[in-house]
Amino acid sequence: MASAATCLHATSSIQAQGSKHVFPLQMVSKGFSLDMQLRAKRKNFPASLKLHAVHASSSHSSIADPIEVPSNNNSGDSEKKSTEASLILIRHGESLWNEKNLFTGCVDVPLTKKGVEEAIQAGKRISNIPIDMIYTSSLIRAQMTAMLAISEHRRKKVPIIIHNENEQAQKWSQIYSEETKKQSIPVITAWQLNERMYGELQGLNKQETAELFGKEKVHEWRRSYDVPPPNGESLEMCAERAVAYFRDQIVPQLLAGKNVMIAAHGNSLRSIIMYLDKLTSQEVIDLELSTGIPMLYIFKNGMFVRRGSPIPPSEAGVYAYTRAAATQHLDGFSLKLRKLHHNCIFQCLD
Amino acid sequence: MASSVACLHAASSIQAQGFKGSSTGSPNKIGAFPLRMVLKGFSLDVPLPERKGNCPRSLNLHVVRSSSSQSSIADPIELPSNSNSTDSQKKSTEASLILIRHGESLWNEKNLFTGCVDVPLTKKGVEEAIEAGKRIRNIPIDMIYTSSLIRAQMTAMLVMSEHRRRKVPIIIHKETEEAQRWSQIYSEETKMQSIPVITAWQLNERMYGELQGLNKQETAELFGKEKVHEWRRSYDVPPPNGESLEMCAERSVTYFRDQIVPQLLAGKNVMIAAHGNSLRSIIMYLDKLTSQEVIKLELSTGIPMLYILKNGKFIRRGSPIAPSEAGVYAYSRV
Repeated sequence: MASAATCLHATSSIQAQGSKHVFPLQMVSKGFSLDMQLRAKRKNFPASLKLHAVHASSSHSSIADPIEVPSNNNSGDSEKKSTEASLILIRHGESLWNEKNLFTGCVDVPLTKKGVEEAIQAGKRISNIPIDMIYTSSLIRAQMTAMLAISEHRRKKVPIIIHNENEQAQKWSQIYSEETKKQSIPVITAWQLNERMYGELQGLNKQETAELFGKEKVHEWRRSYDVPPPNGESLEMCAERAVAYFRDQIVPQLLAGKNVMIAAHGNSLRSIIMYLDKLTSQEVIDLELSTGIPMLYIFKNGMFVRRGSPIPPSEAGVYAYTRAAATQHLDGFSLKLRKLHHNCIFQCLD
Repeated sequence: MASSVACLHAASSIQAQGFKGSSTGSPNKIGAFPLRMVLKGFSLDVPLPERKGNCPRSLNLHVVRSSSSQSSIADPIELPSNSNSTDSQKKSTEASLILIRHGESLWNEKNLFTGCVDVPLTKKGVEEAIEAGKRIRNIPIDMIYTSSLIRAQMTAMLVMSEHRRRKVPIIIHKETEEAQRWSQIYSEETKMQSIPVITAWQLNERMYGELQGLNKQETAELFGKEKVHEWRRSYDVPPPNGESLEMCAERSVTYFRDQIVPQLLAGKNVMIAAHGNSLRSIIMYLDKLTSQEVIKLELSTGIPMLYILKNGKFIRRGSPIAPSEAGVYAYSRV
């Protein structure tokens, strides 16, 4: 296939460049996620997005416009420097309304026991990746995911939720020991990282909505990029406020060398991925981030490089992508065609 | 001991009064239960008709549970007694109130003064919440109140994840108009299947001012042991820029009285997931304790404490045991 050839070609070119994080890059014909910096322009890729396998098979470094750092760093230096930081994205797991197949949006519904388990498992996968700051939405299912994931972390630092909602909240939550502050990981909650707001569909089930609005309309709201449900957000609107927040608040932290974890929702996270990977609106609609599986990016020299999903430390290496590992955790970064996954409709609209 | 005699006496008088709960074991009914004195000092569900003057001594039992309780004549909420007390059906004058103190937090583990710093639960604290949930899984809950701190909120959610109900807890957002609008539910059916969860800073832990984040040794060095002891053990002496227990009690009891009691009066079953000091302030109100008594009171973490509001009075029922054990309310000698 042309796309595979392109990918292979890119693979060799990466190895020639001697990127410092060398890792086995075996093309798994199942289409396991490839961590490749592809310099080719995006228009070569749409074909590869149609691989039936459930992983994104293309990625490329994004030239992130406002944040490109002048390349004055020695690329042979393997020490972590201020131009390198890790970014972990975690989509929360099953919520009580997922279970009931209700449109959730910004209704603040908690995790099921399964969702709790997913968060704990996610935490095990990233237990060795340093985290200096955590961002999450204002919804409990994302916050709990962050806290449960961090409870598995080997660090000694303690996540502390920052309260800035008013002066009293700020005053009341103050820490009076410098030593303790240094041992803290600030957790910042932001409504801008909330799930896409689903307007008048919130709380309804699939059947109700079809009856109320008609199947075609509902399909359009769910599948289009820019058509919002009544009193709700389109994916475009969600992306606008999520990416603006990411760019304005989170990227400066990464630029300063802080390792960041974002625990959020299907639509807010894929909006950010759209920004990181410079996807088109068509591509982002087909994009699905698996729940409870952390997605790691490295921010280096002003560019975002997708590293894929870390496997738990008990398995061979943190970043290994061997064929065995591929069968163990298939759900890294999913480009599923809709009809393949009967649940995905509600997952991505969570 | 005189106190245990008083308690035993009260125990027999309860049986004589014949609480008319249903004994069919239906989980929704507040039923009669065996009242055996567990000498280990397990919490006793004893409405004591005597004035509290007889009871202070029993509060000194070394066991960490409050060992005396009495129905409180709750002043502003006493209802005219026109309800038929032999009616075992749940009526609007009867509602259950569950208090749960969250479990171990990451700063508990490190022995740091926490106060209102928003520190999450440890794995152990998560476990405690799940265990607490198992104990109350059959007690109906219509509304949940919690503080604005994640450790209490997580405790509430984890507790509910064990609940057998079909209803889904939904956190209410009113911080801004946008938050309210964004969190709106558009299906009446779904709303009816929801348990509103209301977060309130008034239920926060006592704010510990300049001690927040310090460990015990640091504070002793900075302020002197006696001062620290006074802040921790007195009723009305606050640490610098912090709250005394009295101040904490004032804002939490006010909130309880103004916001939560009306719900109970309307027959709503309420669960409050909060903190050591805010909860014992509420218990102080429910049981009409003195400031001396409340200082000695300790609510165990992760162990739900159940009260019934009936005919305008709060009756402490104690801690429900897990359903796998004999009965929901059994207090047998182990």
